[in-house]
Amino acid sequence: MRQAGSYSGILMSGKTGPHLLPLARIKKIMKKSGDGVKMISGESPIVFSKACEMFIGELTQRSWMVTMQGKRRTLNKEDVASAVMATDLFDFLLNLVSEDTFKSS
Amino acid sequence: MAENIIGASNEDDVGIKEQDRLLPIANVGRIMKQIVPPNAKISKEAKETMQECVSEFIGFVTSEASQKCRKERRKTVTGDDICWALATLGFDNYEAPLKRYLHKFRELEGEKAANQMKATGHDYKQEEEEDEQYPLKFSLIGRNQQ
Repeated sequence: MRQAGSYSGILMSGKTGPHLLPLARIKKIMKKSGDGVKMISGESPIVFSKACEMFIGELTQRSWMVTMQGKRRTLNKEDVASAVMATDLFDFLLNLVSEDTFKSS
Repeated sequence: MAENIIGASNEDDVGIKEQDRLLPIANVGRIMKQIVPPNAKISKEAKETMQECVSEFIGFVTSEASQKCRKERRKTVTGDDICWALATLGFDNYEAPLKRYLHKFRELEGEKAANQMKATGHDYKQEEEEDEQYPLKFSLIGRNQQ
């Protein structure tokens, strides 16, 4: 029989436990994705919280490589933009990062 | 403390949409910090850009999953749909770890639901989703099902 403590840690909506990202917020963002997303299973935000961690990890890693190439120690937003542009997987972010870079200039 | 909005202190403020469509910058920043070396710095703008990217990622994957559900005439986007969408969109190395994660969650959920039913006859999952109806398989409302 599993202990209640570790179990509620996994289920608690973003309060405690292994989730680094708030589940309610993830759910809100999912609903705004359009396409008439109405019903979302309770487990979807939980899957996403993990997926987002992995996504942030991957993009951060690639961005940091750009930072290092520039011999800098501060990861800036241009590094993130460069990582996006250099990775096919992140093509869906191209408009987003080029808008971003545009805003500051 | 306002994360992205100057002067905003109330998350319920209807006029402020920013906090609704982005994940909290502190959480995002914490995950980023786990990747870079301890003495590395991350600019605030980089964290903000990452916030935007994650929201875009969620929308992108959810759209794909939701389209699949529509095609298959299902109303509810499930964790499996998310895993499928991720693999379809190129994030295939996410699929296996996420499936393991989801499997573990379902195992625990099954146990908890069984315990809850015994204790109160109440479907605890209704506390998680305020405004959604439940697809039949989650409707474990205790009506002499034992």
